[in-house]
Amino acid sequence: MVHSKQVRFFNTLIRRMAYMTNTAKKLALVGLLLAYATLTSTATHASIPADPFGSVMWKTMVETYFTGGDVVFDERVVVSAPKSAENQMHVPITVDATRLKNVKQIVAVADLNPIQHVLTVRPEQALSFIGFRLKLQQSSPIHVGVQTEDGTWHIGGALVDAAGGGCTAPAHAHSISNWMQTLGETRALVRRDSKGDARMTIRMRHPMDTGLASGIPVFYMNKMVVKDEAGGVVAELDLYEPVSENPTLTLKPSVGSASSVLKVSTRDTEGNEFAFPLSVPAVLAQ
Amino acid sequence: MTFFSQKLKSQKASTRIDSQSRRQLLKLLSAGCGCCICGSVSARLLKYPLHATEIGSKTWAVHGESSHFNLDNGGNIVNVAFIEVPDGVVVIDTGPSKRYGEALLALIEKTVPGKPILRVYNTHHHPDHCFGNQVFDPAIIAAPQGVIDNINTEGNAFADNMYRLVGDWMRGTAPVAPAVVLDASTEEIGGRQFSLFYLSGHTSADFVVRDDSTGVLFSGDLAFLYRAPTTPHADIATWQGAIDSLGALDHELILPGHGPSDKRDESLAQTSDYLAWLEDTLIGAVDSGLTMNEAMQLPIPDGFASLNVVREEFERSVVHLYPDLEDQLMPIIDVTR
Ligand SMILES: [Zn+2]
Repeated sequence: MVHSKQVRFFNTLIRRMAYMTNTAKKLALVGLLLAYATLTSTATHASIPADPFGSVMWKTMVETYFTGGDVVFDERVVVSAPKSAENQMHVPITVDATRLKNVKQIVAVADLNPIQHVLTVRPEQALSFIGFRLKLQQSSPIHVGVQTEDGTWHIGGALVDAAGGGCTAPAHAHSISNWMQTLGETRALVRRDSKGDARMTIRMRHPMDTGLASGIPVFYMNKMVVKDEAGGVVAELDLYEPVSENPTLTLKPSVGSASSVLKVSTRDTEGNEFAFPLSVPAVLAQ
Repeated sequence: MTFFSQKLKSQKASTRIDSQSRRQLLKLLSAGCGCCICGSVSARLLKYPLHATEIGSKTWAVHGESSHFNLDNGGNIVNVAFIEVPDGVVVIDTGPSKRYGEALLALIEKTVPGKPILRVYNTHHHPDHCFGNQVFDPAIIAAPQGVIDNINTEGNAFADNMYRLVGDWMRGTAPVAPAVVLDASTEEIGGRQFSLFYLSGHTSADFVVRDDSTGVLFSGDLAFLYRAPTTPHADIATWQGAIDSLGALDHELILPGHGPSDKRDESLAQTSDYLAWLEDTLIGAVDSGLTMNEAMQLPIPDGFASLNVVREEFERSVVHLYPDLEDQLMPIIDVTR
């Protein structure tokens, strides 16, 4: 067994590495991964299936993020990601686990990021579906665990090569000098997916500073709650540092066929709160 | 760790440091590694198989492969050209690396022995078009100011990216900006008149050269043929306007940035049709609320399905073009703070 203490040690070390120079970091990473592989390969952990993505961090991911139930790879967790990250700051990921029933939460991690946890979604009255974009430090497996009511983690994933994409470096995100004034500025689009469900995409202006860049303290949007008109929770999201700047999130609320108004509220690590209503049109009569 | 910074400047700087350290690491590992894989890679002979095709009178195209940058082609996916003029040679674009530039020089010397190179044009700043600059005298390399600015701003990041994509082919390559700033509508080089056109759309500065004696139009990446256009710096409406301008120019033949030479303006029609489809498709996708990943899976019509690397380029274009379209198509909502 790998002790959680050891796992924590490695996690701390990985975070510390964020402050090293890049050369030192790369060398340290190689050493660290070798040491870690040795440590974990001697461990016997019957409940951890082999990772089809071959991640050296897989066992750490399970023991850190996918705890409290069996872990199984499940093709019903469909994780779409580009094979190659055209823009490492904005790698699009879509998770579709709508074929799984009784989903409690969806947890996405990027194994080789200095901060691995990307987000957690609890779809209460929403389909088990999330679209988002993440920052990728280097080529990495993305693992998504979907935990069902029985505690089981159903895992899907994708490998993203962060070697960049051909004729170019990525197009750069728009940088704005007065970003504090536009903090929380929100764009949104609601569409009907099928009879009882809607599809909502929102984008909120937020720098999502990880705290890993020198001189820039951590500052990110860490909470989003979508409620229905009666105040019932539709979906809850915990967001973490690796979510891309200006988080762009797509959810599928199960709101019935009538028109309604969703209430969205978000909060960041500085305690700023933002709230807005989102009108969902009725399904047109056939 | 600066990589995670959302600040543009540090992002760029750190991308550079990052891959520099990667290079160092690679060197270190391969130096200390006796395994056969590393050995065979470093022992592999990297040679660009350049071939000059005469596309017009005393005008040669050096066609690249129709694939993506990879470790086999060393980034040779581009069309470069040279023209024998009365007193020497004019070169249009220089290829993806120093090593390519050297091979190009040798090819020119073989094809038109003893002729001095009088002028080198860069059509735009993308690395496959100007990273052979190093082997030429900067004093004869010419481009509009916009192209020069783009090379100065993005050249280093491109070099790192290219190094990651094609590896050792890039050894010793560094971006070199042209020393000659062009702004005239014509210039005479070695007894031959060239018309110069200042356009944009594929990037913020796309430069087109016409040899007025032969009517060959060197379109750079404003035109692609049988290869899907790339859009990392594209403004599609502007690009369509540039294609219209090119179609209206007197010319006999177009050498597109990628693909075979073109006597019937096929490259203009194909590039324009593809861009129109791309824009419509992505507008529809954003407006339907599709995620980028869902958009990437949309079908490609039969008419474009035979273009080389079309699925890959379409997926890349989703990443390039989606954010702006989302800003245009998703309304701003009133927020309570
Ligand atoms: Zn180009």
